[in-house]
Parts: sequence; structure tokens; C-alpha cells
Amino acid sequence: MDNNMKKKSGLSLVTRLSNGILSLFTNITLLIFSLSCIFPLIWMFYSSLKEKREFNADIMSLPKSPSFSNYIAILTNKDYRIFESMFNSLRTTVITVTLIVVLGFIVGYILARIKFRGNALLNIMFLMGLLIPIHSLLVPIYVVFNNTGLGNQWFTLIIPYVAFGLPIAIFLVQGFVKAIPIAMEEAAAIDGSSFTRTLFGIIMPICKPILSTVAIVQVFSTWNEFSFALVLMKDRRLWTVPLAMTQFTGQFSSDYTKIMAAMLITMLPVIVFYFIFSKQIIRGMVAGAVKG
Amino acid sequence: MLSSIRPKNRVIYAYLLFPVALYVFSVFLPLLTAGYYSLFEWKGGPSKTFIGLENYLGLLNDSLFWESFSHNIYLVIACIIGQVGIAFIFVMMLSSNLVKLKGIHRTFGFFPSTVSAVSIGFIWTMVYDYRRGILNWFLELIGKGDAAKVWLNEPTLVMLLISIPLIWQFIGYYMVILLSATTSIDKEIIESSQIDGANAFQRAIHIVLPLIKNTLLVCITLCVAGNMKAFDHIYVMTKGGPGTSSMVMALYGYTVSFNQQNMGYGSAISIGIFVISLLVIGGAQLLVKTLTREKGEKA
Repeated sequence: MDNNMKKKSGLSLVTRLSNGILSLFTNITLLIFSLSCIFPLIWMFYSSLKEKREFNADIMSLPKSPSFSNYIAILTNKDYRIFESMFNSLRTTVITVTLIVVLGFIVGYILARIKFRGNALLNIMFLMGLLIPIHSLLVPIYVVFNNTGLGNQWFTLIIPYVAFGLPIAIFLVQGFVKAIPIAMEEAAAIDGSSFTRTLFGIIMPICKPILSTVAIVQVFSTWNEFSFALVLMKDRRLWTVPLAMTQFTGQFSSDYTKIMAAMLITMLPVIVFYFIFSKQIIRGMVAGAVKG
Repeated sequence: MLSSIRPKNRVIYAYLLFPVALYVFSVFLPLLTAGYYSLFEWKGGPSKTFIGLENYLGLLNDSLFWESFSHNIYLVIACIIGQVGIAFIFVMMLSSNLVKLKGIHRTFGFFPSTVSAVSIGFIWTMVYDYRRGILNWFLELIGKGDAAKVWLNEPTLVMLLISIPLIWQFIGYYMVILLSATTSIDKEIIESSQIDGANAFQRAIHIVLPLIKNTLLVCITLCVAGNMKAFDHIYVMTKGGPGTSSMVMALYGYTVSFNQQNMGYGSAISIGIFVISLLVIGGAQLLVKTLTREKGEKA
């Protein structure tokens, strides 16, 4: 380390200068990138405070007399169904994520710990779920749901969303459970704890880190899912946020400031959630991606 | 596990029944159904006629399907270079001592990947808009106003223009994944190479790259799988147009099935997408694995 310090102070002017330029260049590159990621939000926010005419005259300028008229117009008109779609998305997301966490935990635990007839088969089946290109199911799933009358219900989307989320959840839980010493369950059994009580009272709390990883990944993918919702939901009253937004952009194709206001309202829960828990979210998403 | 604490089979099957049924119903049943209907001429109505493998023969000769497939491949390649490549460069920048505000870059850079494709598609539609688009606004600002275009109506440019938002949205995602891999590299390795006189570029290629190759492999696989299923962004931005210049496989299957009501052929396309995606994703995995192994042996 000492040696290093000496080296540094002895650097020639040229190297120091080129280091300075390099540092400036890298910092500016990264700053531009980071700002580009956040700028759309800022631009959409201040533009949504403009009148349509003012925005069309100059898309970049700050609003001269900011007003919430776009927001009021959207929130007071029931035809836009903003809150309805947000409620639908929230309900779908909460139930889907809960089911994925609970079912993924149960199946993952059983497949990791218990030998029974069919264990290997189920393992392969769920592993296949990680490989199957889900998007090829877009049309077929419509046919199945249409034939069985399961399409267009408030719970319709929960079925495929849970099914598509299960394999990765099971896979992550399996890996985690295998690292838990089996003495844990043995001690519980000796104390007279039933299988169900051990499962939910003892093992599940231990698995909390991996279960929260599963939950984080699924919250975003469920809230944002678009293509299956597009195919399965025809009833406007049951539309989730992404569907309602495409409808909105079609309806107001010339009224950008209204669209921006609507986008921001529906993005708000995700934005708040992200910026409060960004550390945990980033960690969870990375763990989910790498281990999967 | 001790036999005394092993639950009865009845209990196990009771626990497994619901999730397994749900899974089979949503994943395997649709595939089987698609396989069945793909053998029929069926316009979605009550009547359908058995035509054997005719749909599949049609699919093999369907230039539009193969054009869509080539667009998927275009996106895969563009995004591997763009997302993973740029992310890797950014990670090298971030792990040097020169950069400030690392936390901000992580938080802001990752943010777009949590936003829905519909919002991203809309934002970029506004970037490319003719009268009120940011791109044309910028061209005017630098005095090149006459280069302004209805960008998404240019058949030759549209795939490039669509891949830019896709790349941009996920750079931060891959950046964070690669960053977590590089920070777990032993600091001493980097320091000793510095003392040996390796410059930043050499360190990136000869030391960091081989050490994070498994994570890179994961990223590339994610990238391939992610772009084979491209649908949302394109549906929002161009619906496959102008003409079919930005059609991708999933969107083609959707258009045939729902806009043309050709459910029989749509089912055959779905099976086609299934097989091709599986081949490409599996093939990419194999290829990258053998490539990295060779490199590892040489070193």
C-alpha cells in the first residue's frame, strides 16, 4: 500500500492529466445513462401539468402555469376506469404473489425433502417449466380458457400467472431447503409437532429470505404483465393497468398530456415501492435471476 | 428423513394436488390443445375440418413467419451486444475508482426494468413522434430539422428503433447482475494485476471477464429467452408495422389467431414458436457453454 502511495505521488503530469480526462469521461457517460433512466419520469410529470396546447407548442419547456386539470379530468371521469384498473391489478398481484409464495414453498419443500412415488417426475415437470417458452402458450391458453369458460372472470389471470411463477419459486425454495439441516425437522418431530405445523411454523420462517426474493420478482412481473391479460380479458371492467393504458393511448392519441397524467397515476404505486425498497428489490431481482 | 417424521402419502398428495393441477392446466393442457387444433382448418367457429399436417406445411412455406423469426433473432443479437455488452462496459467503469455516485447509478439505472413494457413503449413512441417527439425536437435544436421523420413509419429503420428501447430498458438490469458478480471477485487479484502493470482494459478482458463468465452466461441466456418472447413493446409501438417490418413471432401468432380468426393455423404457429424458441434457447446455451469451456482450457 505504501508503495502504491509513493507511485501515485510520483506520477507524471501527463498521466495525471489523462487520468483526469478518463475520470471525467466515465463519470459523464454514466451520468447521462442514469439521467436517461429517470428523465422520462420527470419530463412526463412536468408535461402532465401543462395544457395540451402548451405542450404541443413546445414539448420541452416547463409549464408556465402548472395545473392539475389533466389529473382532475382523468380522475373524475368514470369512463377512464383508472381506479378500477388499479384495483384489478392490485387484487391480481396480491393473490398471485401470495399463492406463488405459499404453493412454491410447499412444493419446493416436499420435492427437496420427501421421497415419494412421483417425486422425480414432478421435479422434471417443474424443471421443464423453466425452459418452456411461455409466450408460445398465448393462443393455446386462450382456446383452453374459452372452452372451459374460465376466461373473463376476475380470477382468470391468477391461474396462468401462478402457474408460470411456480417453477422458478419451486426451484429457488428447493435449493434453499436443501441447505437447512434436517435435525431441525427431527427435533420438531420429537417435540410432537405435526408435519403441517413443522412446515409452516418452523421451516417457513427459516425460508423467509428466499421467499421474499420470490415475492419481489413476482410483484413486478405480475403487475406489469400484458400479453396474457390482452388475450384472456375482454371485459373492460376487469382490465388490469397495462391493458387500460393501451386503451387510453388509443383513445387520446392526440392528447399526450392526459396520457402522461394517467401513466403517472398508474405507475405511482410501483415508483413509490421501488424507491423505498430499491436496495432489497435490486438484491432480490438479482438473486432471482442468477439462481434461476 | 426419519420415517417417524415422514408424513403419510395421503398428506403429501393432498398438498401437491392443487399446485400440480393448476400447473398442468395452464402449461401442458394448452400445449396439447394447440397440438390437436393445429391439425384442423378452424376459424374459431363451431365447425372445423381435419386437414392433417397441412397447417405445418403451410408454416414451413410461410415467408411472413420466417421473417418474424428473423426479427426475433435480430433483437436477440442486438440485445446481447447492446444490453450485456454495454452493461459490461458500465460495470468496468463503475468498479474503477474514478466514478462517484455509484449508488445513484445503480438505483436509477435499474429503475426502467421495473416499469411495464406498455409504459416504456409509450414513452418511446413519444420520443419518435413526428410533431411532438423528443428526437425531432432535438434534431431541430441542433439545426438538422429537415432530417425529421415519422420515425416508426420507416420500414428500414423500424427494427433498429424498436431495439433501442429494449436495450435501454434492461442495461441497468444486466449492469446490476454483473456488478454483483464482479464485487465478489477477490480484491487481491485485481490489486496484484495492477501492480504487475495491467491497464484497465487488460484487467477487464483477461481477469474480470474469465472470472464472471458464468454470470455472463446467465445474462446471455436471459437475453435470448427474453427476446424470443418479444411482444409487448412492439404491440404498443408499431403492432408489427409498417406493413410487417417489425413483426415478431408471438405477435404474428396473435395477429393470425385473433385479427384473422384463423385459430387452426394460429395453433400451428404456436407449436412452431414453441419448438423454435426451445431450439434457439437450448442451442444458445450449448454454444455459450462450449465456447466458455474452450476459452477456459486455453487460459
